[in-house]
Amino acid sequence: MTPIAALDGIEVRLGRLPVLRGVDFMVSPGEAVGVVGPNGSGKTTLLRVLATLLRPGGGSGTVLGAPLGTDQVRRVRRRIGLAGHQPALWNELTLRENLMAIARLSGLGETAADDALYRVGLTGAGGRSAGRSSHGMRRRVDLARLLLTRPRLVLLDEAAAGLDRSARLLVDAVVAEALGSGGGAVLVSHDAEHLGAAVTRVVEIEDGGMRVSGGRR
Amino acid sequence: MTEPVTTTVSAGPGAVPDSPPGSLHQLFETARRELVLEGRAGEVWGIVIPFGALALILLPLALGPDVPLLARVGPAVFWVVALLFGMLIALRQSSADPAELRDLQRLLEVDPAARLVGKALAGAVWLLGLLLVLGAATVVLYAPAIPVRWWMVPVVLMLVALGVAMAATLAGEVAAGLRSRSTLAPLLAAPLGIPVLVAAAETTDRLQVGGSILTPTLLLVMVDLILAIVIVLAAGPLEDATS
Amino acid sequence: MTQTGSALPPPSRARRLLEPLALLALLAGLWFAMTAPPDATQGDFYRILYIHVPSAWLAFLAFGVTAVGSIGYLIGRRRSWDRVAAASASVGVVFTALTLVTGSIWGRPVWGVWWDFGDARLMSTAIMFFVYLGYLALRRTVEDPETRALRSAVLGAVAVIQVPLVYFSVNLFRTLHQTQTIRPDGAAMEPEMLLALLVNVVAFTVLYAALLARRIEVGRLEEIAEELTPAEPAGRAVQPPPLGEVGGG
Repeated sequence: MTPIAALDGIEVRLGRLPVLRGVDFMVSPGEAVGVVGPNGSGKTTLLRVLATLLRPGGGSGTVLGAPLGTDQVRRVRRRIGLAGHQPALWNELTLRENLMAIARLSGLGETAADDALYRVGLTGAGGRSAGRSSHGMRRRVDLARLLLTRPRLVLLDEAAAGLDRSARLLVDAVVAEALGSGGGAVLVSHDAEHLGAAVTRVVEIEDGGMRVSGGRR
Repeated sequence: MTEPVTTTVSAGPGAVPDSPPGSLHQLFETARRELVLEGRAGEVWGIVIPFGALALILLPLALGPDVPLLARVGPAVFWVVALLFGMLIALRQSSADPAELRDLQRLLEVDPAARLVGKALAGAVWLLGLLLVLGAATVVLYAPAIPVRWWMVPVVLMLVALGVAMAATLAGEVAAGLRSRSTLAPLLAAPLGIPVLVAAAETTDRLQVGGSILTPTLLLVMVDLILAIVIVLAAGPLEDATS
Repeated sequence: MTQTGSALPPPSRARRLLEPLALLALLAGLWFAMTAPPDATQGDFYRILYIHVPSAWLAFLAFGVTAVGSIGYLIGRRRSWDRVAAASASVGVVFTALTLVTGSIWGRPVWGVWWDFGDARLMSTAIMFFVYLGYLALRRTVEDPETRALRSAVLGAVAVIQVPLVYFSVNLFRTLHQTQTIRPDGAAMEPEMLLALLVNVVAFTVLYAALLARRIEVGRLEEIAEELTPAEPAGRAVQPPPLGEVGGG
């Protein structure tokens, strides 16, 4: 079975500092991997490498079948969903308009966007300006985006941060949806407690190197 | 805000179609969105244009109320202020997408050239507004001689707006994400704006004496074309550089 | 052993030859400049031209090299191109400044002003100076070497168009054509002056090559230094706060 993502000996330096050293990592279809580590351990960097947004300085890997560092990654990017530290929103647009804009950029229709908005419980609040919405609401829109685009590889960075309990179930739903269609997910957090119930395997990262801390949590 | 719906949905292939919408579509989508964003932020009409008008007042204050001299330098001052403040419009902080939005657009395979040209187009629209307001202010404050064929001026204004917007957008992208972007980008953009400035000033000079403005207008068109080509070529490499 | 796979690189044979050669060439240039006959109208003052003209030639040569290096990097993405482009810019900006200063000094008695805005060549040289400054400012701001190389390469490639465009537009619309004939373009020069000029152009070119080689080497050393510094990953600098010591309780 082709892995969703496989990294072998990945090295990343940002400027002078090594951030990832010799990282081996794999996500199989139907698997949600949690990555836990202290601040500065390289979690976000790992996520960006998996998103094909950051080219590693050393090592090799594939994401959704495309070798990292080659042009082929362009073909798989649309199947990758990244919800980073900060929600990706245009502040002057309303929450609904943000989803609409993304739907149009993705080649999807308005009804799909409204549907996603409904599923995250924001239909009533869709007219709120994104810049004036709470962090929790902005986060929900980010997750709505993932429900909208239905990526094959879901990458979540501190996904549950600042969310109330019902919204945290959303994270599980997003992950479950990706896994259900044979995709994979990687969730990153500084605290294993925040990873959610969908995670099947947890690895620890520290100082840019990884340690598998065992199977189920 | 209501409870989210967390029941599982039927599995299926990825929702997003295999290839992104066409570049032209993305271009107009970007331009439209940028226009809405600025329309709501109100930075151009609320801040930059008033500041530009203020700048027009500064020179006569420094020079003294020498009416014939002001009438002579009026158009030149107009173009200089238009160039410098026009760049501010295209380089304003709110027009710079933060890292997460850039990441998102990269993942959605938004054509970087379409994105940049779309941004420049939106910037050009706002710049045109700046030029019209400053032009009126210049006529009032400096009382230059109005050329007979004044109706040609809007054509020149449009070409200038395009040129300055493209130069500034390009510079803004080269400096994207850098700490010193707000100061570095204008420095990078200014040399690109000089041919535009020279050609524009030449058109108003010639119009005032009733001469032909074909040559400077052609130069403007040529510069705009060159800038457009450069943006399209540079967009891809610059996107790689933000990783 | 460094990640580049070698110990500190020894100075290349070419560079070791270039520096004494440059010195010799400059001395020869100086001799020719001083022994050339004085000018009919300007007397001995004109000799500053023997610095100005070669500097101008070098300013544009260095600029061209930066442009070529930038385009080369964009095509091949090999760091050696970027090193050459950056080194040439560092050297070029100095010669550009020299050109402007000597041109201004020479121009004062001729034009009566320190600066002539009607001279397209002077204007485009001045603009080139600012383009250089922008390029160097960009390089200073970007920390990541790959991003720095890529962005400066784009800027360096774009810069090629800027300077001719400025020259073209100023020449077309902003030049007082009489100033063009005042500049000595070799038409009014005696053969010995021309020879002296040629010798100095060659001497300055050798100087440029020597400085470029030296600057490239410094650049390479800087890269090695970057790779040698902290082997520690970023996270190690962060430690859990010493909570037991906080507070007065």
